[in-house]
Amino acid sequence: MGFDPNVVLDYWPQFLEGAALTVRIVAVALVGGLILAAIITAASFVRFAPLKALIMVYLAVVRGIPFIIIVFLVHYGMPFAGIRLPALTTGTIALTLFASAYYAEVLRATGLALPQGQWDSARAVGMSPGEAVRHVIVPQILRPSLPPLTNYTMTMTKESSVLSAITVGELTYQGLVVQGNTFAPFEVFFVVAGIYWIIPALIARATLALERKLGMEENAPGTLSPLARRYLVLDRRER
Amino acid sequence: MSFSFGFFWESLADLAPYALVNLQLGAIAFVLAVTCGTLLTIVRSFKIAPVNMVIGVFISFVRGTPLIIQIFLCFYALPSAGIDMGPMTAGIVAIALNSAVFISELQRGSLRALAVGQLEAATALGLSPLLIWAKVILPQLFRRIVPMLLNEATIVVKGTALLSIITVVELLRAAQQIGAADFRPFEPLVGAALYFLVINLVLATATERVERKIAAERR
Amino acid sequence: MTQPALAAKDLSLAFGDHWAVDRVSLTIARGEVVALVGPSGCGKSSLLRCLTRLEPPQRGTIAIDGEPFGRVGEGGALQSRRTIDRMRPKIGMVFQDLNLWPHLSAIGNVMRPQRVVLGRTEEEARTRAEALLARLRISELAHKRPAQLSGGQRQRVAIARALAMDPALMLFDEPTSALDAELIGEVLALLKELASTGMTMLVVTHEIGFARHVADRLVFMDGGRIIAAGPPSDIIERENHPRVRAFFNTMLAFRTPD
Repeated sequence: MGFDPNVVLDYWPQFLEGAALTVRIVAVALVGGLILAAIITAASFVRFAPLKALIMVYLAVVRGIPFIIIVFLVHYGMPFAGIRLPALTTGTIALTLFASAYYAEVLRATGLALPQGQWDSARAVGMSPGEAVRHVIVPQILRPSLPPLTNYTMTMTKESSVLSAITVGELTYQGLVVQGNTFAPFEVFFVVAGIYWIIPALIARATLALERKLGMEENAPGTLSPLARRYLVLDRRER
Repeated sequence: MSFSFGFFWESLADLAPYALVNLQLGAIAFVLAVTCGTLLTIVRSFKIAPVNMVIGVFISFVRGTPLIIQIFLCFYALPSAGIDMGPMTAGIVAIALNSAVFISELQRGSLRALAVGQLEAATALGLSPLLIWAKVILPQLFRRIVPMLLNEATIVVKGTALLSIITVVELLRAAQQIGAADFRPFEPLVGAALYFLVINLVLATATERVERKIAAERR
Repeated sequence: MTQPALAAKDLSLAFGDHWAVDRVSLTIARGEVVALVGPSGCGKSSLLRCLTRLEPPQRGTIAIDGEPFGRVGEGGALQSRRTIDRMRPKIGMVFQDLNLWPHLSAIGNVMRPQRVVLGRTEEEARTRAEALLARLRISELAHKRPAQLSGGQRQRVAIARALAMDPALMLFDEPTSALDAELIGEVLALLKELASTGMTMLVVTHEIGFARHVADRLVFMDGGRIIAAGPPSDIIERENHPRVRAFFNTMLAFRTPD
């Protein structure tokens, strides 16, 4: 088995096109998902049982079924609402819903970890609920939420590959097309994988820069005894 | 077009045996994943630089690329290397390897939290590294990560749905086939979703129970 | 005659069928220092939450400086949420846990409510904040974060934050409980000083010495009701109600030097 680079070189435009579409879809789902998640999280703290129940059900369902089924449900469910939308739109909607559920889980968890007293003191000093959220709650939620939010964004980027199943022309789909033409699955999927690989790495770099800007300490291994280091640390690099 | 409950119930009944397929696939993949993952963790602890470097690259690859691509690589690409597996085997291997990496990373994270004092005591008693691993480290590690392992199990089961794309006849594919036969794709899909939801709920309840038990034991 | 700083009538708060606050009436005159004392679970904290309407009472009225707060008269209409929110800081609340905002500096904690709630400009808020920090002798800590401050310093910031809103009275919820023993004296001295400047105060406390020497009046609560009220020494030494007697006998048995 050899690795024929010509495959990659000849079809470079297709891969690029697919990657570009992947990035666009992920960007939309990221922004839309965050906005939706913020709304869901805020709503989940309102003391109204039916609303909270609805939200919990939504979160459980979206996180409990495979993303590919969500994609199909949205895509084939649209006709029931009387609308026929192109696969790109339904796929992006599905990814946005997916992202919103995971983002909301993060925001809720950070919100719940915040002591009730923070809310009390904000209200005691005369702030309305909205002002309390804006000036006291949100600033304290943002920083700790960032790592898990980034983590889920990378997950979402990888899940976008599933949209190929409803023929959205993103990176995986292009890979399948090229594979169909060249019958060189190893080269094709390796390159496709490589491109997917780079994207999170770039995001990780960006987040690291963002974290430094926000002044967050990195989790250093700290000092461990030699015995501990022998068993408990798997990378030689970590000291 | 409106939702046909009749067809929905029919589909539910027809899909039942396929739910078992996913469960079985998931179970096999998960067991494989835990085994491989643990072995991987132990190998990594030997800290042989070239080995760890290769493992590092492998882990980065598996974590950074979509599962579906890994499945495609196992199913479409490996045959050209002479490894020809049927779709089911290829799928299980891909999911298992993927999960093994995440499990190993889970263990790596948990290792930090282990009480160093125990290691000191064990070494002082003259236990060999192998025994230390088997008797001291692993049991505690697993106790800590059981909830996360259960979470990983749900991810594995959800992954089995992707095998529909490489022609494995499991829940999703069966739902698609039923839907195609009657030109009503939606109802069987909801049925398939429901089965996955039930499996997920069962695993989630099990996780909660285990978490509670661990919390009680901690005291 | 000037209006009392606080006039609460027939306040009642229930959690389920348990009345945490049971028909409590309390009037505090301007400049008065009232100590609120009672065993755990007597409803002191619930009463404080009622007074600030952090937990709206089911019954009763509250008036701050003569202005109705919450309901206009018994059974009257509920004020708008905005009106209630804006009146709330007229009761300056210092929580047991202080609840400073960790993402803001000390002076930030004192400035932000002024800007958001009172609409003061950046300059006005800063001037007022600096004056208060100076008065509480923590000027040099203005730009530190709460995490960098000691318990006593944080408490002063919390007090400054409440004072910055120009309240009619100050509410202290167990100001000495969250602190190390050595600091209790310091805090009590601070409260005494604030009292001597004419500040109207309601202090929930276990510190009998403080009640005896600083408070003008002692109010004793048990089971959600006020069962005794009057000059502190009278209540502490001469009150006959069995619950009050039992409480003070226990407290005085373990007394720290006044």
